[in-house]
Amino acid sequence: MSQPLWQLPLEELAPAIRAGRVSPVALTESCLERIRAVDDELKSFIHVSANAIEVARKAEREIKAGRWLGPLHGVPVGVKDNYVTADMPTTVGSEAPDLSFPLRDSTAAARLRKAGAVLIGKTRTHEFAWGNVTPPVCNPWDLSRVPSGSSGGSGAAVAAGLCVTALGSDTGGSIRMPAAACGTVGLKATFGRVSRDGVVPHSWSLDHAGPLTRTVADTATMMQVLAGYDAADPVCQDQPVPDYSKAIGKPIKGLKIGVVRNHFFENLQEDVEAAVEKAIGDLAAAGVQIVELKLPLLEYGLGAIFAIELSSSTAYHDASLKAGRVAHYQPDVRMLVEMGRLVTGPDYLKAEQYRSVLMEEYRKVFERVDAIAGPTTPITAWKRGDWTVQVAGKPESVLAASWRFTYPYNLTGLPALSVPCGFDRDALPIGLQIVGRPFDESMVLRVGHAYERTHEWKQHHPPL
Amino acid sequence: MSDPYKELFGLDLDPERLKEVLGAYGDILVQIEKLRGLDLTDVHPAVVFEPTAPYRNKP
Repeated sequence: MSQPLWQLPLEELAPAIRAGRVSPVALTESCLERIRAVDDELKSFIHVSANAIEVARKAEREIKAGRWLGPLHGVPVGVKDNYVTADMPTTVGSEAPDLSFPLRDSTAAARLRKAGAVLIGKTRTHEFAWGNVTPPVCNPWDLSRVPSGSSGGSGAAVAAGLCVTALGSDTGGSIRMPAAACGTVGLKATFGRVSRDGVVPHSWSLDHAGPLTRTVADTATMMQVLAGYDAADPVCQDQPVPDYSKAIGKPIKGLKIGVVRNHFFENLQEDVEAAVEKAIGDLAAAGVQIVELKLPLLEYGLGAIFAIELSSSTAYHDASLKAGRVAHYQPDVRMLVEMGRLVTGPDYLKAEQYRSVLMEEYRKVFERVDAIAGPTTPITAWKRGDWTVQVAGKPESVLAASWRFTYPYNLTGLPALSVPCGFDRDALPIGLQIVGRPFDESMVLRVGHAYERTHEWKQHHPPL
Repeated sequence: MSDPYKELFGLDLDPERLKEVLGAYGDILVQIEKLRGLDLTDVHPAVVFEPTAPYRNKP
């Protein structure tokens, strides 16, 4: 192989490991060396596993003995620091005193271990997964910029080759935003598809677990391990899990793809709009029928997600608020947690009523289309320390801008994939968002893969 | 009521901090007020109460 091991996607590594052409120990050493070489600058990991090499050696022995467990066997995977793990501490990005989280494996971590993955370390999260910056992590495409968040550590680490894939979590866009900003693939599966057992809660009815990877096929592989019923997560649904690999390579000619013109094409950076329009044009050229849509109800979504997210998060942090611990949170998170007390009960339930009508609107849309495509975010990675960005010639807060196109799918729980679709004038990645019907992750993977394989974006690597 | 924010909302902050929090909430309140303007009387909220939840098989 001409590329270094740390740069290869799972889809190339897995068959090579199985065939004995790539050693799990060499791969893990390559990622650990990469961490040592660049993570002082990138700061994507908060904890690196002390026993990763030992686990890789065990995997190598098992594979040599003919006991291959599947495509994740012997593959280094990063775990976002809001998933509890048995052998690594969890901080959820917080330095507040008197906080502790159990040393046990979350369901996702346990499933990855059972599949033979090497859990190489914990990737940094914005504190309590409540933000879109993930300090102190840098964006590997430009270290002066943020990786977005809250799974910014996972996005930066996967993009820069510090691990092959990683876990993220997504309450308003926290998998898809860093995927877009760092040039990786990221999937927020349907609400209830991937267990959140052992993921420190942020907002119970909005939180989703899922992977960040280098390619769409890698996401399909991760989903095969992560998806499925788990009674330990009260919202996890007992739905059959399809063979996601069957979605990879399926033709898209004849599919109908919706483009929601209001909301998703208002106030976005010129280069983002151009790249996404080009991607939609390419899908049409591949034989997809594009269906133009409008969903005026989206106008009310921001108030709804704020009402739910603020009040839920504050309910979770209530004991810390009373104990005075919240004063030790980072200023932005502290502000959000304190503000949540101001959301009233009727506001919260009105937001939940709104979700019902929004879900119904999307159900009607999916009677007409197979998937929806649009931009993942209106902006590319912004400078660290900037709280406003220029969007369509006007200043806008990054908090308001960054999640505008992702949160509707946390409100509706629909599966949403971000796949790279180009670069802006500053060579920063841009994400294309593909959305499907509930539990139809196969369709979003099918469309995402069809787009990915006809473009060369995944061949680009950060200059780090 | 000597401190309505503390008694009504459970928000026990000094006056300066309270002012900051209320100021920051202003932008969000604009969005929530927009939501309040919707008539959703006949819509069941997307909240499901499931009395069988404690009987689910735990691992």
